[in-house]
Amino acid sequence: MAQGRPLLKARENSPDERPLIEAAQRDPRRFAELYELNFDRVYAFIARRVHNREEAEDLTSEVFHQALANIQRFEWRGTPFAAWLYRMAANAIIDRWQSVSKQQVDPRRDAADLAALEEIEQRAMLFQLVDSLPPDQRRVIMQRFVEQKSIREVADELGRSEGAIKQLQLRALENLRARMEGAHG
Amino acid sequence: MAKRSLADQLDQAIQAVLAAPESVRPEAHPNLSALLGIAAGLRDLPRQEFKLRLKSDLERKASMAAAAVNPIPEGFHSITPYLIVEGADRFLEFLKQAFGAEQKLRVPRPDGRIMHAEVRIGDSPVELADANTQYPPRPTSIHLYVSDADAVYQRALQAGATSTHEPVDQPYGDREAGVKDAFGNYWYIATHKAAGAGRFIPEGLRTVNIYLHTKGTADVIEFLKRAFNAEEAARHESPQGTIVHAKIRVGDSILEMSEAHGPYQPMPTGIHLYVNDADAVYAQAIQAGATSVSAPADQPYGDRFAHVKDPSGNSWFIATHIKDVQF
Repeated sequence: MAQGRPLLKARENSPDERPLIEAAQRDPRRFAELYELNFDRVYAFIARRVHNREEAEDLTSEVFHQALANIQRFEWRGTPFAAWLYRMAANAIIDRWQSVSKQQVDPRRDAADLAALEEIEQRAMLFQLVDSLPPDQRRVIMQRFVEQKSIREVADELGRSEGAIKQLQLRALENLRARMEGAHG
Repeated sequence: MAKRSLADQLDQAIQAVLAAPESVRPEAHPNLSALLGIAAGLRDLPRQEFKLRLKSDLERKASMAAAAVNPIPEGFHSITPYLIVEGADRFLEFLKQAFGAEQKLRVPRPDGRIMHAEVRIGDSPVELADANTQYPPRPTSIHLYVSDADAVYQRALQAGATSTHEPVDQPYGDREAGVKDAFGNYWYIATHKAAGAGRFIPEGLRTVNIYLHTKGTADVIEFLKRAFNAEEAARHESPQGTIVHAKIRVGDSILEMSEAHGPYQPMPTGIHLYVNDADAVYAQAIQAGATSVSAPADQPYGDRFAHVKDPSGNSWFIATHIKDVQF
């Protein structure tokens, strides 16, 4: 694979993954650490092309189960673990599409496209940063974007005014933006 | 007030992003534009419950994998001869007297006949059972390596076998004798003199080795390669091109073969083959030209088991050990 920068970057973001992979190859119970490091990336990769949440979850699940089952076959040649997961994800998406219809962009291109990988990396970082938000901001983000509730519904559930929820939403997005920029700086 | 209005504007724009994901409109307010970029990304935010559930699924599966049993049960190799005879209890006694077999398991039928038994001779397991209508007798040729071929030959005769040839030094370094037991099996009893001090088994072989005399041996070898990923470890041909001896590796075991000749005619044999994935090997064997006798199914004794016959009539009992069962 020719591309280096985003994948290298993916490696720089994580602690040296080689000992983690070798540990998981010796004892599959250690796979959990690789999962934690790569969940957001794989999900972001899939969600980029698969816009149905249930389907994206299904495919993500398929990729990690496959990775666990085949962890012995991963050979360390300096290629990041994420690249291996992306290839499996791309193939899983294509398999799924073949049984439905032939429409969208070939996700295998994403797995080899610098710009796409950079975007996926950014998206994964954003997902991780949501966890670092103050609890009330995080709750609003989860309800609004994951559960897609209206401001009124969120306000009712949290016992706050609609204005307060909008403020929390704004502050959460500003925080995320600042942290994304901080992460780049 | 300005802040308040930004919060309202943002929410309105977010509502549009959520409703029509692909339509992030450029906003006049640069701050709002940047925030909407973030909001568009959050639309794909994964559900926390999903992430946790998948993690626990994977942990459960990993624990199962860590505790998984060896697909080849303790004490077995890839290939084990399965000898089906009339009078298995007498045969068992013969194996003990002649070859010092050690009984490991004996599962009787209600009528006292042996449904299944396992013995160990030297470093090798041997399985046996009484014949029935489904499994008629299957005499087999066994190449047996022992430390003193002359002594074991005598013991076999005393135990009721008949001689097919007396001990003789063969040019390939074996002291070798032959007997036929009362159940129709041929035993080539050998001591490999060239094996070095304290050793009497050639490299790659074991105490008990199945010896197949086949017609069209080259084709049989090709079948074994396709069906069971066999590899040719050795092949010796006569000047006429007949295979006089071949060693075919299947998994961790060697199957010996030669073209049928004279008294050494094909004797369809029972071969118990342990593999990592019985279903896959069964499918591969059928694809290669084997005939299905029974499709893969879980057995109460902890194996997944299938039975195919190869084109030469040998029965292959394809198995994967999937769990340990206490009897």
